[in-house]
Amino acid sequence: MDNLKEELKKQIIEQLNLEDITPADIQDDSLLFNDAGLGLDSIDALELIVLLEKYHGIQVTNPEEGKEAFKSISTMADYILKRKA
Amino acid sequence: MTRIKAYCHLREDFCSVNGQVIAKRDKDSEDGWFKQIYKAQEFAYPKFHKMDGLSQAGFLASELIKRIYPEMVTAYKDDEIAMVFANQSSSADTDLRFQRSYEQNGAPSPSLFVYTLPNIVLGEIAILNKWYGENMFAVLPKFAPDFFVDYSQILMSAGSKAVLGGWIGIMEKQVNVFLFFADDSGQDGLEFSPENLAGLAEM
Repeated sequence: MDNLKEELKKQIIEQLNLEDITPADIQDDSLLFNDAGLGLDSIDALELIVLLEKYHGIQVTNPEEGKEAFKSISTMADYILKRKA
Repeated sequence: MTRIKAYCHLREDFCSVNGQVIAKRDKDSEDGWFKQIYKAQEFAYPKFHKMDGLSQAGFLASELIKRIYPEMVTAYKDDEIAMVFANQSSSADTDLRFQRSYEQNGAPSPSLFVYTLPNIVLGEIAILNKWYGENMFAVLPKFAPDFFVDYSQILMSAGSKAVLGGWIGIMEKQVNVFLFFADDSGQDGLEFSPENLAGLAEM
């Protein structure tokens, strides 16, 4: 689980071109779409959908599912494990 | 009379406000130059990390001017500050990154694509400050003080009360940024003339 979270952080940095950010800057439970977290927006949500398909072979087809899954690194990791189970 | 109340320079290796150097680039730092300034000045705006170089430069210079001249945010309504920016290379720095990313990854990156217009920096500053005033971004062969003065005067004759403007040149490793804030209040500051603007820009 911890490895998956670390991988996710690196993948988000790569996918979103966050050149100034390191994995250590992203907390597991920080809200990704909140200004206190990474401050992501709707364009970045698209990138996260692409990321899940590209790196994990998961297609997000239900918008409600994505809303929950993309809350934080922890919820993304939970979602990936659940979809792969 | 319109006067220049504050100004900020960003260059490859130093950052100054009203002519006083406030940060020098640490070449040994793991952080990029703009992130060094962001951290040293203790800014807290996570969206900064997603911005391209042009928007990061605009964010830093405008925020540093705000700190030295707080009236910029307290003395004006949300539609009274106009923004007039210019540079020589438009958004070419990000356009090239977007092109390389597309070639390497085989798919366009939405997060890079949104910065492939030069005036996005104006939008970022407007969103941050909740400003709704006039704004324009010109692509010019070189810094043209007459353009800034003339265009600002047109905007100020049509309702704007102050202008945040300047040159914001970001291309590859080159950083040549000079932003100023000018308004009609008080007697402080240099007259907002092409000669004075040219002199400050060269500092």
